Formats: sequence, structure tokens, C-alpha cells
Amino acid sequence: MEKLAPQAIIDSFAKELGGGFVGGSVYECEVAVKKNKFQSLWIEVKKDAFRQAVEHICRLQEYPHLAIISSSDLGAEVELIYHFTIYYGYHLQELSLGLRVKLPKNDLTIATITDLIPGAIFTERETQEMMGVEVVGIPDNRRLFLPPDFPEGVYPWRRDEKGPPDDMLRVLPGRKQEWHRENKEGS
Amino acid sequence: MSLTAFKRALWVYHLNTGSCNGCDIEILAVLTPRYDAERFGIKLVGSPRHADVLLATGPVVRQMVSRVKRIYQQIPDPKLVMAIGNCGIEGDVFYESYSLAGPIDQIIPVDVYVPGCPPRPEAIIHGVAMAWVKLEKSAKQGVA
Amino acid sequence: MAVEEKKKATYTIPVGPIHPALKEPIRLALTVDGEEIVDTDVFVGQVHRGIEWLGMNRNNPVQSIYIAERICGICNMCHPFSFVMAVEQAAGITPPPRAEYIRAITAELERIHSHLLWAGVAAHEIGFDTIFYLAWRVREEIMDLIEYVTGNRVTKAMFQIGGVRRDITEEQFPRIRQSLDYYKSIFDQLKRVFLDDKTIQMRTRNVGILKKEDALRLLTVGPSGRASGVPKDVRQDQPYAAYADLDVKAITPDILTGTVVGDVYDRIIVRLVEVKQAIEIIEQCMEKMPPGSLLAQPKTAVLLKTLTKAEGEGVGRAEAPRGEVIHYVRLEAGRETLATWKVRAPTYVNLLCVPTILKGMQIADVPIAFASLDPCMSCTNRVVVTDRAVGRKSVVDYERLHQLSVEKTKELQR
Repeated sequence: MEKLAPQAIIDSFAKELGGGFVGGSVYECEVAVKKNKFQSLWIEVKKDAFRQAVEHICRLQEYPHLAIISSSDLGAEVELIYHFTIYYGYHLQELSLGLRVKLPKNDLTIATITDLIPGAIFTERETQEMMGVEVVGIPDNRRLFLPPDFPEGVYPWRRDEKGPPDDMLRVLPGRKQEWHRENKEGS
Repeated sequence: MSLTAFKRALWVYHLNTGSCNGCDIEILAVLTPRYDAERFGIKLVGSPRHADVLLATGPVVRQMVSRVKRIYQQIPDPKLVMAIGNCGIEGDVFYESYSLAGPIDQIIPVDVYVPGCPPRPEAIIHGVAMAWVKLEKSAKQGVA
Repeated sequence: MAVEEKKKATYTIPVGPIHPALKEPIRLALTVDGEEIVDTDVFVGQVHRGIEWLGMNRNNPVQSIYIAERICGICNMCHPFSFVMAVEQAAGITPPPRAEYIRAITAELERIHSHLLWAGVAAHEIGFDTIFYLAWRVREEIMDLIEYVTGNRVTKAMFQIGGVRRDITEEQFPRIRQSLDYYKSIFDQLKRVFLDDKTIQMRTRNVGILKKEDALRLLTVGPSGRASGVPKDVRQDQPYAAYADLDVKAITPDILTGTVVGDVYDRIIVRLVEVKQAIEIIEQCMEKMPPGSLLAQPKTAVLLKTLTKAEGEGVGRAEAPRGEVIHYVRLEAGRETLATWKVRAPTYVNLLCVPTILKGMQIADVPIAFASLDPCMSCTNRVVVTDRAVGRKSVVDYERLHQLSVEKTKELQR
């Protein structure tokens, strides 16, 4: 496929996914003295259309580059962002693509993409152990960073009751206020 | 004072318990021609069984606790432990994390502390010199 | 297959020294058939300190810059660099142009120091300790320069959200140029020592090959990927800071040799030529440095207030000496800490190609092949080797493995 402009890429996603496509936007950023610009795209898709979206990215670029999967705990749901980049290799022409998927907390599953992109295995394992999201079809189910004797069901990145319990944490003597606890309850 | 308790110079073993490598590259820089600790006879060995001094860096990650204890037991007496860098002394910025088992002196007894993030190579040489003096003193007392 | 299963054995070989004294914890489990390696398994996690959790739950964004610095002591500038870029994108702060140029200069200084460090370590793995000492002696010049410019050898603390904390003035330029001239004068000697030596060629040619398709599929970044012919370089593709004004090209080994093989020798070429490129970039930045202020918001208290009220998300990508670093930050209004912080260091991704690189290699080649990826932040410490043929268990320590590598070199020299 030849290179498309950023807005054309968003339109191609809308056309391909139909109802599964929720929204997309282009972000532009100016840099340094000459004020060259680079652009990044943010696209949100529904959970069921997720694999289709990744296959579409593989059509836009032969070997897309997946940087990392980041996850945020938003209270009632968990949002995963897959950070892709396409069109690398040329000066000022790479586009970052952030693919957003929201998962409800009572059904934290997502399909694996390791058959399309074998390099995604580490980051899927990390999302599994740190956030508690279950990646369906993952070829390797082991923990990546946490030790094997870390208690089950404790997910460090979560902000609800599944985060690390207080007996695992220490507080520096002299901390002025317990605002970390307030943050937990307030959010 | 005459340093005669040892027939040869100090051999050190380096152990990384989960540090960021900053202190480790300064330890290696001590052996390079600029600072050249080898002219004092200080040598880095590859096995704890040949060592006299243990140079430990890093806040102890939970997974490394048993290994640290095992290496401490493998070093023959008389021995000495140096904690290099702020992480080993009190945890530095990582103190409050959920995955650490405490600074090094919660796991094994430490004799010399070299603070800094990371300490300069000159500070490390000074620390090893102090350790040598302390080891000589304790060896003489042990014999006497 | 059943007969071989009965005679399974385990050789436990600690593969420690990617860095000779840096016994950083990583574990490799190698499956071996005779002398050849068949499969590798990588266990990480022994350096996990919960940094993202600390940033999300304990520290305000300005304190998180200093945590980001201590993620790695060798590639010390790139983590705060991309973190600060991500926060600026999220909060809508633009740093002044002079700060962008100073950031680029310090990042290139770090690249020179890191590549020389790696060159010494790689030579030690092959068995040439003299070159190890030579490379680290040469590296001391750049450490002096870094101390002159930023104030410290290793942890530099130059970055602040919205700019940099210290200036590089015109009075400092002559000293910088003096060091760069020194490096230009010895560059040919370094090239001769590393690239023209017959033994190094014999030990590194066709060892640890990574083909271009594998590098693309396994998302390899940095010099390890460029040595396989993949022209990915964040300074070229999506330039940030002062690189957007310069024309930086990704360096692939066919600049020097004309072909791309993807082995350890190619990686040496890429890293040495990048040192030269870094020197040129610093000189261009010094010539074009614009005047102006250093910080978008000089008062820290006002900055923190702005960040507490800000809402948004940002992605910061930078090119570390080892590859692409990416930080993702989300800020929520009313929350003092970061709402979400995700860090990805380049070695995270480069470890995925270890099974492909080590396949078909001998055990004596494991140190140099693994070291050629320049792993930072986690290196091997313990290797469990499963031999399908023989039936005995034995423990071999690091000294033995390093000895194997050195003996192979001596054999080749005979």
C-alpha cells in the first residue's frame, strides 16, 4: 500500500471497521528552530474490532513497529493503548499511531497479536501480570518481571483494591501527608 | 602502620543486587589506567571463594535475597563487606517500592559505607583503603 | 525421540560477564545439542524496582525526573529526555529553542561515552584485555568533558520540564572543541584496532547473525537492528529537539563494507561510525546554537501547580545509545502524581532476538554474541544448559565460561 496522509489513514480505519471504529484524531507538534512538524494519530476502537484494526495496520505497513502497550486504570474500566509507528526509514515521515481499547473491569480480556507481530510477547506478558488483563491465546503465560513468590491477585498498577497492600509498602519517615492514600480513595 | 597480615593484596568480588549500573561502572573505572587500583594490588576476581572483600551495590530486590546470603557465606574469613552507593546504604529514591527487601545491611552485616550516587572512583579507592586498614586491625587482634 | 529423552542432562553454566564485574541478574536457559545451542529462554525481573509505581503513587512529576535518571546508569540522559518530552506534550509546555540544542548536545556526549564503554567490554569478552583498558582510558576524556559541561560524571541532572537546568556558554565551547579534536585524531587508530585485526574478524564474522526479516518481525531497535540493515533511527524518522534542524541518517554497515551481514562485526562497525557521527552533530549544534532562555517556566512551584491542573496524555520517544526509548505519560487534573506512566527501555525489545542470535552457536560464543546486543539493565548471571545427549549434571562457574571464550581466541591465533 502506498503512503497515505494522516487524515486519510483515519478515514481508511473508519471504512474498514465500520461500527467498531469509535473515533480518531491527529496531533501535530512543532520542533526547534526551523519549526518542522511531526504528526501522531490517536485511534479508538471497540474491543471486538481490535484484531481487525491490527490487521489493517499490518496492511498499511509491512512490518509495523510496536513500541509498547500501556495500560491505565480508569475506575470502572481499563484502557489499553498499543503504541505503533509506521512509515519509518525516512526523515520526518514517521507517524506514531496510538490504538486505544477500553475494557470493562468485569471482562478484562483481549485477543493476542503475537501471530501477527511476534515481538509483542514480552509486552503482553507484562500487561497480564501488572494490570490483571487476560490476553487470550498468549503462547507463553509465565510472569515476566514479578518474582514467582509474589502473591496472586495483586496487580501493582491497579488503583482499586487489587493494588499492592499496605504491608508490602514502606513510607519514608517524614512524609508530610498521607496524600497517596487520599489519591487512592479519591480517584 | 605496616600492612603485613596479608601475604598478597586485597582481592575483591563485585555483586550487583539490582542496581542501575552507575556504581558498577565507577567500580570498573577504578581498575582502568586512569585510576589504576591494580598498582596497589587490588584485583577483581570472578568467584567469591577467592575474595577477601565483597563490593555490594544496589537496593536488594526481593528475588536476590537468597543469592546475596549465599555469596556472603561462600567468602572465606577474614572478610569484609562494603556497601557502595546510596542504594545499598539506605535505598536512595527506591526506598518505598513494593519489590525491595531493604538496604544491604538488613541482609548481611556491612563494614564500610561509601555514599554517593554514584560515588566517584576516588571515593571508592578511599573506601577500599579504609577497609584494608580495618581488616588489618581485626586480623592482628584475632591473632593476638 | 524417546531414546534422547531418557538421556537428558543439565549443565548449569553461569553466563555472567557481559560486563566483567557487572554480574547483573538475568538468566538464560540454553538447550544444547552437543556443542551447539538449540534454544534459549530468557528470564528477567531481577532488577525490577517498581519505578513506574513510584512515579504514579509517590512522587510529583519533577521528582519523577530523578527517578527516571536512575533507571540506568549508562544510558543516563535518554530516560529523562523522553520523560520530559512526554510530560511537555501532555501539559502543552514548549521548551525554548536554546534548551533544545543543549539537550541534543548532552545526549550526543552520552552516546560517545556509552559506545566506548561497550567497545571495551566487547573486547574483554573476546579476551583482549589490552583493548579493554585502551578503550576505557580513551573514554576518560569524554567523562572529563561531561563533568565540565554538566557537573557530574554519571548522573547529570540536566533536564527540567520545560527546558534544561544548566547552560552551555560560548566560553565553554573551546574546551569542548579541544576534546572533540582529540577524538577525531584517534578515531582512525580505534578503527584500525577494532576493525582491521584478524583475530577480531575471525571471532566476530558470521557469529550471532540476525537477518533483516527477523529484525523487523522481532522489533529490534538501535544499533543491533541497524547492523542487520533496518534503517530505524528516531533521530531520523521522528526527530525531536535539535535533530529536526539537522539531517541525521541512520547508519548501516554498508557505509564501510558495502554489504550487510548482520553479525557481531557489523555491530562494531555501526557503533564506531556512530561515535564519529555524534562528534559531527555536536559541532553542528554548537555552530547553530540560538540565544534565549533556558526554561519555559523558571519557578518550580508555579510549574508544579500548572502540572497538577493539567490534563492530557503524551508520548516521548528518544534515541538512546542502545535504541529507541519510549515513555507514555497521562496527567489528570487535580492529581499531584502522574496518572499513568509507562517506560520502555530498548533492551526490553532487543532481548527478544536472543534465541534467534544464539541458535547454532557454540557455547564459547555466547558471551560475545550476547554482549554485542549491548544489554543494559539486565545482563546474564545464571545460565541453565540442557544437553539432550549426555546424562550428567555439573556446575561450571563464570570463570570457566570466560575461559572458554578466551581459549577459543587463542586457538584461532595459532
